[in-house]
Amino acid sequence: MTKINMTVNGRAVSAEAEDRTLLVEFLRSGLNLTGTHVGCDTSQCGACLVHVNGEAVKSCTMLAAEAEGAEVTTIEGMANADGSLSTIQAAFQEHHGLQCGFCTPGMVMSAAALLKDNPKPSEAEVRDYLEGNICRCTGYHNIVKAIMAASGQLDAIAAE
Amino acid sequence: MTYFLPQKLDDALELIQDGSAKLVAGGTDFYPAMQKGQAMGRIVDLSRLGDMQGVTKDGDGWRIGGATTWTELIAAPLPPAFDGLKQAACTIGSVQIQNAATLAGNLCNASPAADGVPALLTLDASVELASVRGRRILPLGEFITGVRQTRIAADEILSAILVPALPDHAVGRFEKLGSRRYLVISITMVAAVIGVGPDGLINFARLAVGACSAVAKRQPALEAALIGQRPQTVEVTPDDLTGLSPITDMRGDAEFRLIAAARQSTRAIQNRERS
Amino acid sequence: MSVARPLPHDAAALHVAGQARYVDDIPTPTGTLHLAFGLSDVAHARITAMDLTAVRQAAGVVAVLTCDDLPGANDVSPSVHDEPLLAQGEVFYLGQPLFLVVATSHLAARKAARLGRISYDERPAILSIDQAIAADSRFEEGPRIYSKGEPERALKAADHRIEGQIEIGGQEHFYLEGQAALALPQENDDMIVNCSTQHPTEIQHKVAEALNLPMNAVRVETRRMGGGFGGKESQGNALAVATAVAARLTGHACKMRYDRDDDMMITGKRHDFRIAYRAGFDDEGRIEGIEFTQWARCGWAQDLSLPVADRAMLHADNAYHLKDVRIVSHRLKTHTQSATAFRGFGGPQGMLGMERVIDHIAHELGRDPLNVRRVNYYRAAAADAGASGGSISAKKNDRAPQLTPYHMPVEDFILHEMTEALAERADYGARRHAVAEWNAHNRVLKKGIALTPVKFGISFTLTHLNQAGALVHVYQDGSVHMNHGGTEMGQGLFQKVAQVAAARFAVDPALVKITATDTAKVPNTSATAASSGSDLNGMAVKAACDTIRDRMAAFLAQEHQVEAADVVFADGEVRVGGAVYTFQEAAKRAYEGRVSLSATGFYKTPKVAWDRIRGVGRPFFYFAYGVAVSEVVLDRMTGENRILRCDILHDAGASLNQAIDIGQIEGGYVQGAGWLTTEELVWDDKGRLRTHAPSTYKIPAASDRPGIFNVALWDGENREETIYRSKAVGEPPFMHGISAFLALSDAVAACGAGYPDLQAPATAQSVLQAIRRVEGDG
Repeated sequence: MTKINMTVNGRAVSAEAEDRTLLVEFLRSGLNLTGTHVGCDTSQCGACLVHVNGEAVKSCTMLAAEAEGAEVTTIEGMANADGSLSTIQAAFQEHHGLQCGFCTPGMVMSAAALLKDNPKPSEAEVRDYLEGNICRCTGYHNIVKAIMAASGQLDAIAAE
Repeated sequence: MTYFLPQKLDDALELIQDGSAKLVAGGTDFYPAMQKGQAMGRIVDLSRLGDMQGVTKDGDGWRIGGATTWTELIAAPLPPAFDGLKQAACTIGSVQIQNAATLAGNLCNASPAADGVPALLTLDASVELASVRGRRILPLGEFITGVRQTRIAADEILSAILVPALPDHAVGRFEKLGSRRYLVISITMVAAVIGVGPDGLINFARLAVGACSAVAKRQPALEAALIGQRPQTVEVTPDDLTGLSPITDMRGDAEFRLIAAARQSTRAIQNRERS
Repeated sequence: MSVARPLPHDAAALHVAGQARYVDDIPTPTGTLHLAFGLSDVAHARITAMDLTAVRQAAGVVAVLTCDDLPGANDVSPSVHDEPLLAQGEVFYLGQPLFLVVATSHLAARKAARLGRISYDERPAILSIDQAIAADSRFEEGPRIYSKGEPERALKAADHRIEGQIEIGGQEHFYLEGQAALALPQENDDMIVNCSTQHPTEIQHKVAEALNLPMNAVRVETRRMGGGFGGKESQGNALAVATAVAARLTGHACKMRYDRDDDMMITGKRHDFRIAYRAGFDDEGRIEGIEFTQWARCGWAQDLSLPVADRAMLHADNAYHLKDVRIVSHRLKTHTQSATAFRGFGGPQGMLGMERVIDHIAHELGRDPLNVRRVNYYRAAAADAGASGGSISAKKNDRAPQLTPYHMPVEDFILHEMTEALAERADYGARRHAVAEWNAHNRVLKKGIALTPVKFGISFTLTHLNQAGALVHVYQDGSVHMNHGGTEMGQGLFQKVAQVAAARFAVDPALVKITATDTAKVPNTSATAASSGSDLNGMAVKAACDTIRDRMAAFLAQEHQVEAADVVFADGEVRVGGAVYTFQEAAKRAYEGRVSLSATGFYKTPKVAWDRIRGVGRPFFYFAYGVAVSEVVLDRMTGENRILRCDILHDAGASLNQAIDIGQIEGGYVQGAGWLTTEELVWDDKGRLRTHAPSTYKIPAASDRPGIFNVALWDGENREETIYRSKAVGEPPFMHGISAFLALSDAVAACGAGYPDLQAPATAQSVLQAIRRVEGDG
């Protein structure tokens, strides 16, 4: 067991964990941040997506120890400071960018990472970027629509 | 299991000098697999080695640090001959995997379907292997010896990939056939670097096929035959490809793989403009 | 306040904030134990010895259970008690649970589960359809046969005849949330189980059997699933029973979730089918006589295979009037995972067989398949069909509804109009020309286009399942608590039913609290399946709300000396005599007037009755319809292909929530197209599933969806009295994916003169083989 320190959603945390503990396990079991989901266990589905030092990472492909000292943001840290939904979160709700909701936290985290680097992506760029996030319910249409709306480009997709 | 995250190559080399440690660089294959397996003993994670990251000019050629991620490679300013390698990088896993996975990891894993290998073969890449004993350089084609087998010793780290100078007019291209556009492990893939002279004829040609043999294979006979041809008229057939022994598995059968590889070769040659 | 509003999913705000809880997210008591199954390595064998010493000695292991350690029934079958939780002497598929590890962590349980040393006396395994046919390995005594008219005579007499066969692959559900259950032991041996299931009552039933308890000692709660698609209709039984048994034996809470590869190795999938056909037809493609033979690969246990295979037979006609028809169905028993429910429940396979025949006929005659479809469509619903009496004239007879192969009159057929509308909206005619033009000028890239209809029967074919219950409370502050037997798996059922409750009381839907499905609140529920969720539960909730509303109205009417019928619930108010109360005030008055503000509601679907053995009667209350046009492009040198465009017009009746219904249609199409294109399940010759992870099993990704994707709802009411005249929408859109498959067939046909004979799924390799066939024949 090693003591692991990191900043999660702006809060300094420190917990004991085995060296082999994956970041996703550390977040879910250690910190009770269960919004980060385990969908495939093999780095494919993207339900476990979090940001580590601002970069999108699948938390099932990273050891908690590797995030020692890092700034980690999870879905629980995505709302605005006053607790209201962020633009991206609100867009997913309003544009029906979810059904069962299991992939949703990963989708929101992915969308946030994309829009940070590319605030006005084309629809094709959004779809390309989402290649690492699997959704089995929606057919992706409303997810893409929500992200386009969050980037202020709903017209681009409505014109289709 | 004990986990080490060294910051310097020399520290890492010391940690592994007894040959007992398992090396991880990115861990995108390793960590998911680890969850099912036995205890792993000592793990040395190479992803934070500052002196093993980034792409630099090295004389006339280029030096790519072993711990360079695919995302960093994609962003690096490199001549058009590297376009195929960059295209390959864009098809590896997904953005989040490209953020974490490294070139060294891809090469040392030595999967027959490793996306980076064919493109690096067409760049005539070599690998630099470091240990406390010193450094040695091996051509990539000799480094990977079989399915999941390489010539790396237990106390060595793949510290860099070295690419010699290439003509400015040579353009790289990568074609991958998977059963879905993204997140796929390749059924077949082809990388090429093609140069066309002012007369419109091919005067520089390198081509490699991946996932159709234990180790990706350069195609010297085809390369020689391409010289002097007009790219748009080239049609590669399965008979033009040599040294391949595709397997039949759940991703496709052998005959299909050969046909697909020939077609991808044609595409890679014809469609050589920088995209 | 109108019921129909495009409100977001009830838990959307929780989902986007990571606050929505799935089973694995529920906080567990200290000391909770974790489970994993040890699995069979062989497909068929007698177990000669199980050495579990290393398993027991592994770190973190608390207990290891075999079939001898179970306190009650060793069975998790939803049908005929043929599915042991833990193998009893013999194994029947590779991946079958043999023993159960109880450990202090999920990882410890999983690691220990791999340490079992099992000795087998291997037996020959029947894996494929061919092997099962050769061994006559089947469920039921022989094939089921439905027929109408004289198919043999009609086939002989026809001007043209074709015959052919299509192999149709199965499909993994790939719900994003894997199977999961959590059992919490209670005093007096009672058990509470939280489970990701479409069928809480079945979980309750199986857990009670396994613990030797009456059903009243077991309570099952399901707030939501991270996707179900049929995969959680019966496949959660094993986990729920395992956690309950382990909780009983250890006294600790026990949790189990399958890792993705365990989930894929253990659980059942969509049935793969082979369908052979012989059809006779006239110059226009009008079918004179037809015979289908369907072989379904059901796997090792019966599970739900009989009703699945029945539904395949019931959809063998799809949208076409088959005057002289015979359908033969073989339900084959193999040593593979037990195939189970999956969106469409056999309907898609039966329907693809029929659409394949149309495609084949059109190719044979050189006609546009759309014209062949039109001449074979059922007769349109007469405007006055179902209206009362009148003299039966010859003319009237011409307009009488035509009969399905199972002798049910098709009274609500609207595909003529829908086809017309979509063909126009999607510009089908001009695009078919453009595709032909393109193909004439492009040697390598070939395009194809297809318009296919869907007619899908709505009701459980096991008639007694067509019932539902609800429990509604109105509290004295006017807030409403709603519960019903349906489960939420992302389909938006809870939101739609909450809108019904809100509409009955004429209050804002935000006043209606949606609560977890709970066998202690509403008993004896049916699975949320067969698309029936909102039809059944919407009606049951409506009945409960109306009971309360009527009591409130009667009380207020008496207070104000008016008739109860004159009490009006509207716009969040209750108007009685000259008085206007807010709903909250009215509730408080009723409470103080000692009026019961709690009621149950019950609903059973009318009109359904049939004989599944003879294949005669009315299995369905009504049909849901839809049409889709897909356009694709393929590379004739590699078989790689893409969907370029899809247009869908779908009938959801008077939709309860258009946004949710359109979401079902989009998702259904993409999932259906995935089934028939990229999603390929491969077993090796030992019976090992080789595609047991997302790295090898390919569901559609964001970029696989068509570049242009237009979905619209057909504007029309259900002619039957369903909840607000809406129609079920869960399964029918899945079958729009057939248009993508037949568009590929069309594109392959452009590569030569022969018939493509495309097999499903149309992976690049399968497409390339079809291209070779048409080139060879040309």
